Amino acid sequence: MIRVENLEVRFGTHPVLTGVQFEVTLGKIAAIIGPNGSGKTTLIRAMLGLTPIAHGKVLFDGKPLERMRDQIGYLPQKFRFDPDFPISVGEFLGLTLRRKKPTSLTAKLTEVGLSASILYKRLGSLSGGQLQRVLIAHATLHHPALLILDEPSTGIDIVGEKQFYELIERQVKEHHTTVLLVSHDIAVIAKVVDQVICVNKKLVCSGPPRETLTQETLSELYGHNDMELYRHQHPHL
Amino acid sequence: MEPLSFLAFGFMQRATLAGLFLGVLLASLGVFVTLRNMAFFGEGIAHGSLAGIALAVFAGLSPLPVAMGWAVILALLIFFLERRTRLSADSVLGILFTSSMALGVVIMNMTHGYQPELISFLFGSILSVSYFDLFIIIGCSLVILTWLFFSHRQLTLLSLSEEQATVAGVPVALQTVLFYIALALATVLGVKILGIILISALLIIPAATSRIFAENFRSHMIWSVVFSELIIFFGLAFSFYLNTPSGATIVLLGAIIFFLVAGKKLLQRP
Repeated sequence: MIRVENLEVRFGTHPVLTGVQFEVTLGKIAAIIGPNGSGKTTLIRAMLGLTPIAHGKVLFDGKPLERMRDQIGYLPQKFRFDPDFPISVGEFLGLTLRRKKPTSLTAKLTEVGLSASILYKRLGSLSGGQLQRVLIAHATLHHPALLILDEPSTGIDIVGEKQFYELIERQVKEHHTTVLLVSHDIAVIAKVVDQVICVNKKLVCSGPPRETLTQETLSELYGHNDMELYRHQHPHL
Repeated sequence: MEPLSFLAFGFMQRATLAGLFLGVLLASLGVFVTLRNMAFFGEGIAHGSLAGIALAVFAGLSPLPVAMGWAVILALLIFFLERRTRLSADSVLGILFTSSMALGVVIMNMTHGYQPELISFLFGSILSVSYFDLFIIIGCSLVILTWLFFSHRQLTLLSLSEEQATVAGVPVALQTVLFYIALALATVLGVKILGIILISALLIIPAATSRIFAENFRSHMIWSVVFSELIIFFGLAFSFYLNTPSGATIVLLGAIIFFLVAGKKLLQRP
């Protein structure tokens, strides 16, 4: 069980998140949703120890999440790095420092829709979509116990998005990985995830998609009465 | 004259051996220095070490160990001030190296008579590498290179993305402070040959030259070390035969190679 207890994050004296509390069952997929600026990224950064927590706890199977770092895969919203950094894709993927034996790099690249020839390319020379796929491969390479993904389908095409969600489902099924993802695509979330966590500076709702993704909750979360977004369908899924 | 006749002399053997060890050390660290945009660090530490050297001369102690100890104190101060204040690393370095140099100048002023040790540290001197210095240089180089061998993946990830390194469980603060200490020690060790004024060139030039064409980290590291060894070996040889200052000759040779490689890149189509 992942347990977030009464989490509070402040930027200076300004509270960004207050009293956030939820649980995610291990081996399940949970999505964090909320409008822009609602604190979704801050929530996962605080969980990962990248942003200081003013108050509260984050536990993974009863232990502080910070102590489980070698079992976490993380895909940031924006991977900031110097594009001139002389490192090949193969070297980058080899930098993961986990104890578990990794999947073969070629097999992992195939899973994310890339060919093995990309291993020798410089990381900074990749297109946005290729980089995102490489980062997904990097995050899932060692079959982490917890996979945290911040807007994972950003920059990838429809085929890539389909491959990505297949990969996530396989990861959960075969390796019992717990997945926490931030996404704006509510139609996709409704079909893929087991739990939805709605955040807007505080916890607005938490539960299965059928119970949480209601017109009423979404209107409260996003502040709109007409949530056309929810009715948008993705034929590829 | 035989091409390698300069190695017949004991002082040249010591300088070459020290230079070759320092070449590997400074070039390997230099790769991370350039990747992390820390070029000013070596410069600052080298200049700041003047206070340690002046203090040792004033107290009648061996300058190299005292300068190393002083450099480690400076490295720790930079690390903690950088983390605890809102000042940038450059600002912290600027304050520490100028104040440390100022302290060195004051102590030098209190030391009476001509001080050949101080002059040799300022401009470097191949004649000044004693067996004791050689022992310290080789010993420290081996320790730092061993740490680097076991930590290079963590340091690479840290240089690429501190955030990813943190999530991957890299002990970011520990590896950063160890890197600062290693860099400070390596810089002071190199001061013996290149001098306070020129040592940072050996951190920057080989790594910068190889970075111009390196497509991956492995080739970047290998070429950086190769360039470093070449410019030190041939720089020392040229300085012997041309009777020019060793440090300046090494740096000039490095600069020529850098401009040749950069020039070739400029002539290539983008």
